[in-house]
Amino acid sequence: MLFGSLYWYAFWFFRPLVKWFLRKTTKLCELQRVCYGEPSGASRTLGVEFSLVHSKVQRIQEVVGMMNERSENCEFTGKFLKSNIELAVISLIRVKKINPTIHTQFIKSFGRTVEQIWGYKQLTVEVENLRRTPYDASNPEHEDLLIGLWERLNPDIPLEARITKQWQDIGFQGDDPKTDFRGMGLLGLHNLYYFSDYYQKVAQHVLLHSQHPVNGYTFAIVGINLTSLAYHLLQDGAAKTHVFNFVKGSPVMRHFHQLYCYLFCEFDRFWFDSKPKSIMDFTRIIDAFEVSIRSSLANPQTVFRINMLVDTI
Amino acid sequence: MGLLAILRKLKSSPDKELRILLLGLDNAGKTTLLKSLASEDIAHITPTQGFNIKSVQSEGFRLNVWDIGGQRKIRPYWRNYFENTDVLIYVIDSADRKRLEETGQELEELLSEAALAGVPLLIYANKQDLLHAAPASEIATGLGLHTIKDRAWQIQACSATAGEGIKDGMEWISKTVKKK
Repeated sequence: MLFGSLYWYAFWFFRPLVKWFLRKTTKLCELQRVCYGEPSGASRTLGVEFSLVHSKVQRIQEVVGMMNERSENCEFTGKFLKSNIELAVISLIRVKKINPTIHTQFIKSFGRTVEQIWGYKQLTVEVENLRRTPYDASNPEHEDLLIGLWERLNPDIPLEARITKQWQDIGFQGDDPKTDFRGMGLLGLHNLYYFSDYYQKVAQHVLLHSQHPVNGYTFAIVGINLTSLAYHLLQDGAAKTHVFNFVKGSPVMRHFHQLYCYLFCEFDRFWFDSKPKSIMDFTRIIDAFEVSIRSSLANPQTVFRINMLVDTI
Repeated sequence: MGLLAILRKLKSSPDKELRILLLGLDNAGKTTLLKSLASEDIAHITPTQGFNIKSVQSEGFRLNVWDIGGQRKIRPYWRNYFENTDVLIYVIDSADRKRLEETGQELEELLSEAALAGVPLLIYANKQDLLHAAPASEIATGLGLHTIKDRAWQIQACSATAGEGIKDGMEWISKTVKKK
């Protein structure tokens, strides 16, 4: 603990000196050294983000503030995306007096990291908006998703009524799922729906596992708890390693859903490997699962890919 | 932890520990109540699969609060947590009038458990912030609380999300336990 804080004290104390020295010897600024030295993906993008966020240059701080504002207003997308990236790149090469004809590779790499950094930020805003939207049973769009979830998980079994005990078969708590989304709001439903729609066979397979009479778990409720895990990984930035390695450009909602699907498949495996005695072991197992996911994400090379084969005989 | 907090901790005598069991149907608001007691963020709550435990300092007591999931499938496991309970807190969603009967039956079963005999009972009539919430008096009558003679009991109207009424319930607990 003491040595940790001493290290950081020394790090911040000597950082300007080290930067100055490297700049003089390599004739490159820190951002260039990161973009040329680190492989594309999380290592590079996290390095650039660190450098930009901690820059003491006023113009860079202004640009960072502007980019933050635009991504928070969800303007970091579509037709604005290109002009936003250009603005960041042009401001930077002016401030750092970088010759754009010599450093074309740098400009390309730097532009891509800008796209990733603020695309991620925008995604956190979009995810937060969806989480804050409560499930509303009077909204036909919400209801259609809920019914759609059932149909994808159980294509051969019709739902007898909107309020029915059948919901418990896919792991909701009672006769009406509407109260189960709670603090995860519509985000929980969107995640479950995407999983059942995009990876239908996998989701059906996981559902079947979850229905094991002794060692099973409640599919939908565990799913909503996994939404909470994915949400927190995204919001506190732990998911950045995976996202920056997984998505070349600007991450969007689909990528969040895919992270969720990965977590679901892995949790299913983790649950049975942990040999639960009953559902009361859930807290212990999900906590251990989170620790394992976070330690994977601490490695800058980590990228999560769904690794579940389903035999369709 | 700040220096002041450490000093205070060293100075104060060790608090009496109380084991509190938090039960009720799913969506009653048990986890919100638990987090609200622990002054934690209540915006990101998910349905409790299994249970949550928290240690909370309140009214000169150290409360070890066990919050057990309320869905029907989990209710058979409630009994695993009965042993050595000092106080039972039963949470009711006052706005869920359709399930008042169900929650009454579950409570009745709990009160007939030998392992919980004589354990003081605090009922939180939660979600009073909702327009169609039943008042605590109506719930008390509906559940026939006045017929309980074998233990100390209290019903307290509250809103766990707004943090209202919770303190009054905890004060009742501390008074009741000190009397014992």
